[in-house]
Amino acid sequence: MTPSLPNAVAGKPARSVDFSSLWQSYGTMSILVLVLILSSILSPDYFLTKSNLIQILVQSSVMVLLACGVFFTILIAGIDLSVGSMLAVTGMVTAKLMIAGCPFWMAILLGGLLLGAVLGAINGALVNITQLHPFIITLGMNAIYRGLTLIISDARSVFGFDRRFINGISGQVLGVPVPVLITILVVLALWFLAQKTKLGRNIYALGGNAQSAWFSGINIKLHTFIVFVLSGICAGIAGIVTTARTGAAEPNAGFGFETFAIASAIIGGTSFFGGRGKITGVVVGGLLIGVISNILNLMNVQSYYQQIVMGALIIVAVTVDKLFTRKR
Amino acid sequence: MDPLVSVRNIVKRFAGTLALSDVSFDILPSEVHVLLGENGAGKSTLMKILSGIYEPSSGEIQLGPDTYPRLTPTLSKAFGIALIYQELSVIDYLSIEENLFVGMIPTHRVLGFPVVDGAFMHRKALETLKRVGLDRNPRTMVGELSISEKQQVEIAKALASDARVIIMDEPTSSLTDEEVQSLFKVIRELKAAGIGIVYISHKLREIPQIGDRVSVLKDGRYVGTFDARTTPTGTLIASMVGREIESSRPDRDNAQRDRRVLEVEHLSSVDGLVRDVSFELFHGEILGFAGLMGSGRSELMEVIFGARPRAGGSVRLNGRDVTVRSPYHAVKAGIAFVTEDRRRTGFFHNFSVAENISIVPFLREARHQVSLERVDLAQQEAFGQRYVELLRIRCASPEQNIVELSGGNQQKVIVAKWLAADSDLFIFDEPTRGIDIGAKSEIYQIMRQLADAGKSILMVSSELPELLSVCDRIAVYKEGGIAQILDNRDATEEGIMHIATA
Repeated sequence: MTPSLPNAVAGKPARSVDFSSLWQSYGTMSILVLVLILSSILSPDYFLTKSNLIQILVQSSVMVLLACGVFFTILIAGIDLSVGSMLAVTGMVTAKLMIAGCPFWMAILLGGLLLGAVLGAINGALVNITQLHPFIITLGMNAIYRGLTLIISDARSVFGFDRRFINGISGQVLGVPVPVLITILVVLALWFLAQKTKLGRNIYALGGNAQSAWFSGINIKLHTFIVFVLSGICAGIAGIVTTARTGAAEPNAGFGFETFAIASAIIGGTSFFGGRGKITGVVVGGLLIGVISNILNLMNVQSYYQQIVMGALIIVAVTVDKLFTRKR
Repeated sequence: MDPLVSVRNIVKRFAGTLALSDVSFDILPSEVHVLLGENGAGKSTLMKILSGIYEPSSGEIQLGPDTYPRLTPTLSKAFGIALIYQELSVIDYLSIEENLFVGMIPTHRVLGFPVVDGAFMHRKALETLKRVGLDRNPRTMVGELSISEKQQVEIAKALASDARVIIMDEPTSSLTDEEVQSLFKVIRELKAAGIGIVYISHKLREIPQIGDRVSVLKDGRYVGTFDARTTPTGTLIASMVGREIESSRPDRDNAQRDRRVLEVEHLSSVDGLVRDVSFELFHGEILGFAGLMGSGRSELMEVIFGARPRAGGSVRLNGRDVTVRSPYHAVKAGIAFVTEDRRRTGFFHNFSVAENISIVPFLREARHQVSLERVDLAQQEAFGQRYVELLRIRCASPEQNIVELSGGNQQKVIVAKWLAADSDLFIFDEPTRGIDIGAKSEIYQIMRQLADAGKSILMVSSELPELLSVCDRIAVYKEGGIAQILDNRDATEEGIMHIATA
């Protein structure tokens, strides 16, 4: 929307420095702060401990990784419903490769990153070829990728692979858990890509108006393809992290995660109609979900009720966002 | 005769700006009252007050014998005021008759339950369609109709709700000349039935044909009311813009007939809408394309731009081959395309003015279609400031979102993005559609300056006076190909229409 602050600074008519634009910049962030304060009151002894906060970050990291990929697909007015299954396939294949004797680094490269990119590429190619809405393609591919995981694994957990893989990824570097570190690196890279590069600018353009993008010379099929590849790579990284953290590749890993990944992006201010939203918002959205889930656990709320709270949160967050943001 | 509706001393303030200042206006029965003014003059605001959407800050509105400080949509509708927007609001996936009765579906009781009275609806629809001269089965889906037929459905809808005053917002902006004439016929019949019509239009030459009185608004103020048949166009323009705008033919002959800059040879499209088109363009020249809507002019431009699959033929620009296979390659080759529908295919509603301008130059400068090069924000700012100044784009700052600008200024932003990309061949498709007369003349001026600077310019327009005042030569287009190319000095509106329809 209107970048209002620069205008105000320049002494130009400051008519858009209002609540709506402030909300857009800091809305989700302020809710996160509010929830943090509330949580530390509700659980004064435990919530604010270092180990709990680190726990939240580690638990949120997989969700944030998935959400960053989904973010790009929503940014081009699409969606990726297959991230949970892509996580499962890549996590499973990585584990299987190691068991077959592949060194762990090669398993990560092939089974995690490359396979993630390939799965995303299949999504992107199908969207381009069929010209169907990504909702339909990725809904179908979600089931297909899950089925593949079950076939590869014979529906059994796979464990007993290289300890260095597990210890390395679930360990710490300079006191920072490796999954958090990986997530930070991915977020920084994607933030740079989205905000600073021409590729990112063209993706925003494609999301804002695909027809205008086409008539401005942007290769919309190629950019759509890249966006889905990015989502696949993010899911692949999330798959590696999940397999390492659990010490086993589960055939049901990541089941239903797409809901929370999409929720993180939407709560973080990404417009479902495309063209608007930022990675930073997605991270805040993912953390918000992580914190709420954590405090509910600390207060011994049954996981069934947690589902209800999460569902309500999605609806409330987007409603509040809509109320506070004037739609033109 | 007592007016059907009159508004008196209406003032409307929006946060900080005065949209209407002391405006009075009335509509008599059996009258076409034309409302004239540039974009932003307050026409839409006035109409929204009449339809009860806006509440005036002060003033009063009289409907028949009753006086109100403000209207509500219900009140306005109950009195019989119907508004037909430029963007028609019929629903494509309902039938004509369902559209006519949206919100007031007639019912009768069957076994005590209210059930849609299909027979009554059909009968009434047939009757109403006849009044607007639409010869279609009322059960036809509206999605199957042409734009002018949809407009007839809109008018029928107003009649079905017993409208006494019908407001038409630029009803002819996307109609062919023939369709305009049949619309006028309908309007005359409505007049004969005692209905008052408010006719909003930018097309000055329609005014004496259809209007009775003309009221002019300028910057939210009432300028005056004139006789539509006798007032000279120049007087109307002057009162609208506060200055005379010359609309003569290009008197200069800058075209250098010995310097060919663009050669299009045997161009055809895969879908057959463009068939073996050849023409050339000389240095400093603007070539116009006249023809009926749907004759394939926009399609030809799309083939040149690479946006429509090409079956054969070639394009040469300044001696080099620029036959392209996609818009990306067109951008790289220096071809600019200002499309017909800026909202749909021109700008990015999520971008600022500066971001909209820099998207094309950034793409042209990049080495590959997908580029990880950094966006140069300093350059983006420089582009914004330079073109806002150069093209006199009226905006708060280049950081302002483009949707907040008027249509004319949005169009200038789109021209700017191609200028910033340093394009050599400019294609303008209906460059002045829906923009006000002041901005129009600025766009013409920009086009002339580009031509003088040696750029090649092709211009598609459905407004013949515009083609005659801007172009050096006019290609008359017919059924997918050029029927004849006329020199401006040999061209007349009648002559062009004769060729286009022969």
